[in-house]
Amino acid sequence: MRGWYGSRTLASVLLCRQPPPSGAGAAAAAAHRRSPGAAARRHASDRQTGQGQPQAFDPALLELLVCPLSKKPLRYEASTNELINKELGIAYPIIDGIPNMIPQAARMIDRKAQDEEPKQT
Amino acid sequence: SAKFTPLPKMAASIGAVVCRALHSRRHGKFLSIGRGLFSGARCLVAEGETHFGFQTVSETEKGEKVYHVFESVAKKYDIMNDSMSLGIHRLWKDILLHQMNPYPGTQLLDVAGGTGDIAFRFINYVRSQWEHQIRQKLKSHQNLSWQEISKSYQEEELKLPGGSQVVVCDINKEMLKVGKQKAQHLGYSEGLSWVVGNAEELPFNDSKFDVYTIAFGIRNVTHIDQALQEAYRVLKPGGRFLCLEFSQVNNPLFSRLYDLYSFQVIPVLGEIIAGDWKSYQYLVESIRHFPAQEEFKAMIEDAGFLKVEYRNLTSGIVAIHSGFKL
Repeated sequence: MRGWYGSRTLASVLLCRQPPPSGAGAAAAAAHRRSPGAAARRHASDRQTGQGQPQAFDPALLELLVCPLSKKPLRYEASTNELINKELGIAYPIIDGIPNMIPQAARMIDRKAQDEEPKQT
Repeated sequence: SAKFTPLPKMAASIGAVVCRALHSRRHGKFLSIGRGLFSGARCLVAEGETHFGFQTVSETEKGEKVYHVFESVAKKYDIMNDSMSLGIHRLWKDILLHQMNPYPGTQLLDVAGGTGDIAFRFINYVRSQWEHQIRQKLKSHQNLSWQEISKSYQEEELKLPGGSQVVVCDINKEMLKVGKQKAQHLGYSEGLSWVVGNAEELPFNDSKFDVYTIAFGIRNVTHIDQALQEAYRVLKPGGRFLCLEFSQVNNPLFSRLYDLYSFQVIPVLGEIIAGDWKSYQYLVESIRHFPAQEEFKAMIEDAGFLKVEYRNLTSGIVAIHSGFKL
């Protein structure tokens, strides 16, 4: 891991970028033996403070996830922060950026409301 | 925070010495006193019933009880693992990763991966493999310009090398929450996803992953055969199934010591450290009920896996079972 950290400073010097502040870097290296570097942590913390709410759902997961019951793909509904299986009429909640794919946790979507939507749009 | 500091070196090295002394790589049938006593009990369960430790419960009850156990221990899970196993669990997990030997670009599904131990090790492993590859490349291309060299460093900053990805799936959202916090604390962000899901009904499509791991999780599943079938389904052809789980100790004398330690010391530690005697009583009982090495190997073969092998660690306290979808 020390080699990893050393190469990061080299890379940033080569790219004429600002190297991670040496004080923070040394403290980070001392405190966490397995840290991949101060830059990654700053990146993660920037993402956290940038958003008002807890981390949003990662759309890349959508390619992998399917409904555990029917194994069909799901649709991400940003307004309610849920993953919807339209066929079965159920919605899986996403809490703190972690989708809950347990069938018992899923919510039944009101069929009437679903039918009205295409008429409105 | 105190939770995430590494185990004091001395305790870990003592553990390592003990572990190496007892490490056994031999396959084959092993009889232990413990197994003899409890194998009878396993046959006495009625239809629709299963074991929760030494109690007999209905299958639906088991799922709920297991959920509550892990909900209550989630925050102290890592500390308890270190105390109960004297830090040896870290070695077991390291050995699992070495056996997996993932290359950059591997897609890993870690089931019952809760607090992320396997996932973080996977990320470290592929990163160091990548570094190794870069160093080899640089050694043989001494005439690269500085711009080219810096470019090769630039690519690896944004994503995991080769597009490696690990999805951590667990039925318990408390365990995943702890895992996610740990990840943020330790600086793991790219290539890592967290999903609440049931091992018996995975929310993933067929043939998606290169490796499926389940470490210390499968004994808590109500229908192990269903979990194995799901594992087979989500693996790509050529994919590997790896299971790290408590198993039956092969040495009779050591087995007695192990039983003593399990039933007298571990629940007490559970009470002192986590304030939860019952959950750790469940833990040691569930270990006794889990099938032995050969029986579990047969179950894995039943699910369709080929070239199924197992390897005992620490004299059989723990075993790594491996199979391939071919």
